[in-house]
Amino acid sequence: MWLWNKIKQLAIPSRTGVVTLRYPYKPRPAPAGFRGQPVWDHTKCIGCAGCASNCPARTIFLRDICQEIRILLYDSSRCTYCGRCADLCPEKAITMSENFELATDNRQDITQTIELFMMTCQRCGRCYDLEIKNALDKLQMLGYRYDSLEVRKVIRQSTPELEPEHLEKTATYRRPEKLEKSSCGKD
Amino acid sequence: MSRKEELLNLLKDKLRGKFLAGSSLEDKRLFIDIKKEALVETASLLMKEGARYQMGVGYEAKKNGQGLAMVHTFAFDADSLLVAIRALTTEDKPEFDSLTPFIPGAGWSEREYIDLLGLHFKNHPNPKRLVLSDDWPEGIYPLRQDVPYDLMPPSAEEVAFRLDEAPPGSSIIPFGPFHACLHEPAHFAVYVDGEEIKGCEYRGFMVHRGIEKLAATELTYNEIPFVAERICGICGSVHSVNYAQAVEAASGLKIPRRAEFIRTIMLEIERLHSHLMWLGVAGHLIGFDTVFMQAWRIREKIMWLAESLTGNRKTYGMVIVGGVRRDIDLTKADLIKKTLSEVEKDMLALEKAIIKDKAIHRRTKGVGYLSREKAVEWNLVGPVARARGLDMDARRDHRYAAYDEVKFDVVVADSSDVWGTLVVRIKEIYEAIKIIHQCLGKLASELQGSPLAIEIEGSIPAGQQGLSVVEAPRGEAVHYVLTGDDNRPERWRVRAPTYPNLQAVPDMLLNNKLADFPIIVGSIDPCISCTDRVAVIDRKTAADRILSRQELEKLSREVRSKT
Repeated sequence: MWLWNKIKQLAIPSRTGVVTLRYPYKPRPAPAGFRGQPVWDHTKCIGCAGCASNCPARTIFLRDICQEIRILLYDSSRCTYCGRCADLCPEKAITMSENFELATDNRQDITQTIELFMMTCQRCGRCYDLEIKNALDKLQMLGYRYDSLEVRKVIRQSTPELEPEHLEKTATYRRPEKLEKSSCGKD
Repeated sequence: MSRKEELLNLLKDKLRGKFLAGSSLEDKRLFIDIKKEALVETASLLMKEGARYQMGVGYEAKKNGQGLAMVHTFAFDADSLLVAIRALTTEDKPEFDSLTPFIPGAGWSEREYIDLLGLHFKNHPNPKRLVLSDDWPEGIYPLRQDVPYDLMPPSAEEVAFRLDEAPPGSSIIPFGPFHACLHEPAHFAVYVDGEEIKGCEYRGFMVHRGIEKLAATELTYNEIPFVAERICGICGSVHSVNYAQAVEAASGLKIPRRAEFIRTIMLEIERLHSHLMWLGVAGHLIGFDTVFMQAWRIREKIMWLAESLTGNRKTYGMVIVGGVRRDIDLTKADLIKKTLSEVEKDMLALEKAIIKDKAIHRRTKGVGYLSREKAVEWNLVGPVARARGLDMDARRDHRYAAYDEVKFDVVVADSSDVWGTLVVRIKEIYEAIKIIHQCLGKLASELQGSPLAIEIEGSIPAGQQGLSVVEAPRGEAVHYVLTGDDNRPERWRVRAPTYPNLQAVPDMLLNNKLADFPIIVGSIDPCISCTDRVAVIDRKTAADRILSRQELEKLSREVRSKT
């Protein structure tokens, strides 16, 4: 009986053969619907902060560096890839990509920053009125957020207007190089 | 008269003035408020009525008169009824009577709140530190509301956990916190006389992440499922479903039927992968690596299946309060069916090849024996209890999700040892496959086009209690939610199945050979991360230490400079 069991045990691997994948040499694409690195489409983002307010891991940060420009920073180092941001985005500006090979020794490699021009409509080019009902009001944008981009901390406060001390806090902010030439130049 | 009314009347009758209120939103739950003098009386009344102790929940009550509250929950498995008794005490004299003298399984629950809330339990036989690190300063109680969630007191040197004296004639062998035979950090001081184990002391809770505190201060209702899922790397879905069920129970939310079926499917897929993983680990622990390799090969198919269904191998992220996020459509259902038939075939082949192997029999039969009576006394749950002849399963006894519509057998063995747990787990793999097939049938035939989740309308009222159980692969997991303001629960308590099971390990180890230590501890499938989820920061371990940290650093630097 014991020997018979041993023979059966030998038979299993010979029947199944090699199952190990030659992974790093031969890529294994992720299946459809995989929750990999989230990617922001800056042409679609309206800066409603829906993703930032609902991120369980608090990896999405927002700050208005002046009246017109809002910065959205996504710090992947703490991301749990739950995909809540992509679910909740009203404009479907966030897609969970199939990219999962994200190991890096430089945090900046997996950080995404978008600079959003908040007063003029990015798609039609026309300015919209902040006073009257608009899309942002519907999304209950209550005010400005001043998350600390340096220490990557969510600061849960909002004010109806920009205070001088808040502007001071943002003085160290460096504009991202990639987006220098993008459409959201000031005025 | 239903069992619930019977109990309610009995308690009202016996306690008289000490009975304050009894309420329940659902017909399977009973929440009772009593005066604290009546705690022991009520608990012993319930135990006499055939209850099984589940867990204790302590919290600082904001509204109910600025006091500290202690909730004890009990399960009546035969009547699918859960009872929670709550008593309040004042902050200046935070004392309760201990239940541990007559319910040994309550020992940890009470010690936890000695540490975290500064409660005192009169007549507790062993009020030692359980949760907090050895160098945590006296007088800071992390679960109190004035303590911030990110408080990090400075670490101290030269403090060590005082382990009990070894019984005369035996010596101590320390296992862990990091040891080749333990897969997660925990410390066992094992007393041995020659090769025979004469007792053991456990010091765990080394991987606290303060999740409950975080939920009560920072997160919101619909963020918690994703954090709950990360309580455990293996049974994550259990915790997110359990949390969502507790909130839904507390707020009276009725979720779509299709969502319940999808939750059931995910829970069973999780059970498949967990049991296969355990089988592999058990094989590895007894030095039978063929089992390890083959079980994990089969398991990999389940992992890939989960990846295509949910977008990730393990943290499924399927559950939100009010339903689920992703559908299982017909193409996905076909994929599940295909994978399951492969898994079933492979599993049968593996079972036939190993089940009569003498190596397994000799290493598991009679090892880790714990009698049925002891199992009842320690409130064991899951396969560990079922291997000791206790016919209990939360899926059948406290039907949740879609388990009321599926047929399955509760597997019970009576060998009361490691072999029994192995048999139970292997058979449960086939039962899980059966359940998934039934759920897929229902999804395809009746529930087409039903919504996946419902929106929470308005805010969830504060001060409601919710209690939920889910049969995790390791046993019954219990979640308690007390709703609060600011869109987050005031208290959310998680009791993982390892919590009661681990308390019985010293008894299981008794009179076994030291070489069997790994498989006995492994037989409960200990999930240390699940168990250790509460406190605030990680700890510097100092058990049985000879060198201080400075000494060790100095020593290591000297050695390095010489080479």
